[in-house]
Amino acid sequence: MIELDELLSMHEPPADLALSPADLKRLYWKYRGLLKDQQRDQAYWAATNDNLTQAFLKLDEKEKHLARAYEIIRDDLRVASRIQQSLLPSNYSPPELDVAVYNRQLTDVGGDYYDFFRTRSGRAAIGLFDISGHGVSAALVMAFLKAQFTLALDHLEAPGAIVDAVNQRSYGFLREVKKYATVNFVVLDHDALTYAAGGGFGLVMHRGGVSTFEKRSPFLGLRQRTYPQYTLPFNEGDLLVMYTDGIPESQDAEGRDYTVRRLNDLIVEHGDEPPARILERCIDDYESFRHEVSDDVTLVIARRKA
Amino acid sequence: MREDEEKPVRVFGALLVGYAQACVNLNIVAGRRGAELVGGLEVNRWYPLSRLRRLERLVLETYENSGPIMERVGMEMMFGWYHFGPGRDLIRSGADFLRFQSGSEGYASVIDGPDSMLGDFTLLTEDRERGRATLRSTTPLNRDMERGVLIGGMKAPGDLDFVDVAYMPDRQAFSIEYH
Repeated sequence: MIELDELLSMHEPPADLALSPADLKRLYWKYRGLLKDQQRDQAYWAATNDNLTQAFLKLDEKEKHLARAYEIIRDDLRVASRIQQSLLPSNYSPPELDVAVYNRQLTDVGGDYYDFFRTRSGRAAIGLFDISGHGVSAALVMAFLKAQFTLALDHLEAPGAIVDAVNQRSYGFLREVKKYATVNFVVLDHDALTYAAGGGFGLVMHRGGVSTFEKRSPFLGLRQRTYPQYTLPFNEGDLLVMYTDGIPESQDAEGRDYTVRRLNDLIVEHGDEPPARILERCIDDYESFRHEVSDDVTLVIARRKA
Repeated sequence: MREDEEKPVRVFGALLVGYAQACVNLNIVAGRRGAELVGGLEVNRWYPLSRLRRLERLVLETYENSGPIMERVGMEMMFGWYHFGPGRDLIRSGADFLRFQSGSEGYASVIDGPDSMLGDFTLLTEDRERGRATLRSTTPLNRDMERGVLIGGMKAPGDLDFVDVAYMPDRQAFSIEYH
């Protein structure tokens, strides 16, 4: 007669299998014990499977909520983008200038903003701003700044005083919403231009040579300091270029910067061509250089007409 | 209010760590909940009962049908206690566990507080020949986990082929069969 433990260690039962009553009894309980374990396992796995099913159902529900929320955000962004576009000067440019503009926002709504203004005395003015960050908040700041410049232009003529007034009015608000903006603000006279700048990039090609903007003043919203203004000759045929950091700070696949120098050299090299052609060359060069678009890009090129 | 009722009920860290470890071993809680489960527990410290309640809730709120899960947690806790803790030195057979658990080294060693709030864990009847016992539990511990503790504790030494722990109708006592 074989013992139960020995029997269970064999691959198959012997032909003459016989067990003692005690081993048969043990086998019975062992079998019942395995059935009990199986029942417990089934109950456990059923509970975890139920939980998984519930989790998937909840996930489905959350996904639907997210999809709805995303749709609302998409709709809002479409509206915000449309509003932002309406704030930019779509077809208008000052008649005394031949102007070409490239403006591409990184997202639906972006932080680069350019605009054409008139002072109270009728002089043409150009503003270019790069608001920190992107998205709806930057676009709202842009709308706020547009309103501030429009207000300032009602009673001020000098670009330094205009930018100073806007900064004074905007400082508290911009600090509160943790935003700031670079600024280039140019007012034209009949044979010169006067500008105030804080952070932006500017270049003027005139008969006397090439001048770049002094940009030592702070961004709008960073400090409560006055903005000095500078005057450069700007006669018929002279070229004014203003841009944000989107192009010069773009990088190639190896992480090298495009640089201000590369852009300025390209502009100067082709400075006698029409603004639209210069713009095309700049954008082609930037597009062939950059690895990916990582910032808003704005480039304004204006030549003084007769 | 009696003086001893002012003492809070406390549970020993080893019980909490055993519970948390069992949940981790079984992968039944994850992510933030998993981190909350095991965070900062010490084996030899006493913790308020609310800490155990919080850990229990992590499972109870996760699973709609939490009974079999808590039972498995109890079993896993005792597997760890026997094979990686002091269990092997304290009991020699599955049947020993019943007396152990209802004695001073069992339930009473991991919970502390006023008698009226602790409840009891008492072996009411025991017939080793027939492999039958009844045990009353009025402890504040989760009853399904307690059932798992009994099953796991009795199966851990490996000498029993069959262990069944069923609730008596009022769920305040267990009917136990083992062979």
